[in-house]
Amino acid sequence: MNNEEMPSRQIRDWPKLLGWIAVPAVLLVVWQLSAMHVNKPYIFPPVSHVFGQLAHPLRDHYACGSLLGNTLISLLRVLLGFLLAAVIGIALGVLMGAVRTIRGLVEPTIEVLRPLCPIAWLPFAIVVFKLNSLAGLLGMKYGHPILDQIKLGMIFVIFVGGFFPVLTNTLDGVVGVRRNYLLLAQTLGANRRQVFLHVLLPASMPMILTGLRQGIGLCWFVIIAAEMMTGADSGIGYLLMYAADNAAMDIVIAAMMIIGGIGASLAFAMRQIMAGTMQWQGKEV
Amino acid sequence: MKAPTRGYDLEEKPVALDVRGVSKTFRSEAGKNVTALQNVNLIVQQGDFVTLVGATGCGKTTLLNLIAGLDTPDTGSVNLSDGLRFGDNIAYVFQHYTLFPWRTALGNVAFALQMCGMPRRQRKRKADELLRKVGLAGFENAYPHELSGGMRQRAAIAQALAMQPKLLLMDEPFGAVDDSTRSELQQMLTNLWQENHTTILFVTHNIDEAIVLGSRVLVFTERPGRIVREFNIDLPRPRNRMTQEFTDLFVQIRQSLSEQLD
Repeated sequence: MNNEEMPSRQIRDWPKLLGWIAVPAVLLVVWQLSAMHVNKPYIFPPVSHVFGQLAHPLRDHYACGSLLGNTLISLLRVLLGFLLAAVIGIALGVLMGAVRTIRGLVEPTIEVLRPLCPIAWLPFAIVVFKLNSLAGLLGMKYGHPILDQIKLGMIFVIFVGGFFPVLTNTLDGVVGVRRNYLLLAQTLGANRRQVFLHVLLPASMPMILTGLRQGIGLCWFVIIAAEMMTGADSGIGYLLMYAADNAAMDIVIAAMMIIGGIGASLAFAMRQIMAGTMQWQGKEV
Repeated sequence: MKAPTRGYDLEEKPVALDVRGVSKTFRSEAGKNVTALQNVNLIVQQGDFVTLVGATGCGKTTLLNLIAGLDTPDTGSVNLSDGLRFGDNIAYVFQHYTLFPWRTALGNVAFALQMCGMPRRQRKRKADELLRKVGLAGFENAYPHELSGGMRQRAAIAQALAMQPKLLLMDEPFGAVDDSTRSELQQMLTNLWQENHTTILFVTHNIDEAIVLGSRVLVFTERPGRIVREFNIDLPRPRNRMTQEFTDLFVQIRQSLSEQLD
């Protein structure tokens, strides 16, 4: 049975295979040829220039740091903002799902704030948090080379980006837990705390993880805008804008490819993490 | 929660469960009042295997829920004998969603043991033993969605037995499996009952099943739900469906059910 399925699955997978190799290859060739034809690298750089930049990720640009260094700073900011969004989003989501009073009190406000694009919070964040960084928050008088780069305003905007998907998915997950499982746990002798720990949480885990996946995607999405805020002087988004001002389109496109690549990797990683926990989802019997 | 001291004690067996004059009305989505149960009286003696037979949707599940303590009656009372406590020694096997999908068969069977704080190794050993008893040896690490319908109900029964129930409530547990699996499960349940002497209250819409399993069959009718007749089944076990007595009982029960439809 399995042996018969193998070749047919391989045949069916050919679009995927081409999608990973042939389509990007064709695009790169078209790009290279048209760039050579245009012949204005400061407007439309050829593939070779962009890959030249990607091949030297440690090269400093305009004394703003390298591609790699700025990428790492962006990642650090995103992970911090995302962590904050995850912790607060899950906690509030579970509380709202489990306690009607809290849901009633909080939900209207959430519904009004949710449709706001996270970037709309940027001016607000700049005014409120000014240029304060994590180093300042931790009471470091003379600053710190890395923690100084973690501006609170950026963290706030990234937090807003990740918070709502985590919250709403967690809430949906907790509210959607089948009453049967709660009853079953009760008949099997679980007390309230045990029902929460052993039924409510695992039963809503697929939705919580979905929220986290969407959340980290949005956080990464928002970082680029956040790094354009006044006073920012590092990060892959900042480098992208700075290079654009200096007509270095090869760096701009290299930065775009890095941003896209990392976004895809984050999504892939989340999917891998979820795969084990989610295997029962949609198969309730 | 005292054992009743009325004149029922004609037989020596002590009473496990005494349901007196219980009524329950629900408001339907259309806003109409539906009487799920009307003046239901029921006595179950310890070690009895009572089957409740009736059409689907006639309040049998409501009655089980009231007995399990998941709901309260509008009028009347549900009296459990001393020592019977919900969440302790009353087990309930549902028809659907009987297992936690995020736990393996072993994890599901060990659930009740885990809740009362039994150490991991000890509860694994007990759960292994129970799985073997219901014929699921080798499937300890399978998730519910990887099991067949019959295997899931076996696991659900093991899960309920793990709490060593004195009263076992079952709501059409074999309703969703094919006929041959159903017979196997019925045989297994009969064996378990004969071994453990657990009091069982078993709800079904299948007359054949009610006779095969029960030492008493209660005929339940719908709208309003109430018990209209009672049959004592003293056929030897395992019960043979091909005997005259069996088919006679079948016809009688069928008649008392259809009388109510007119």
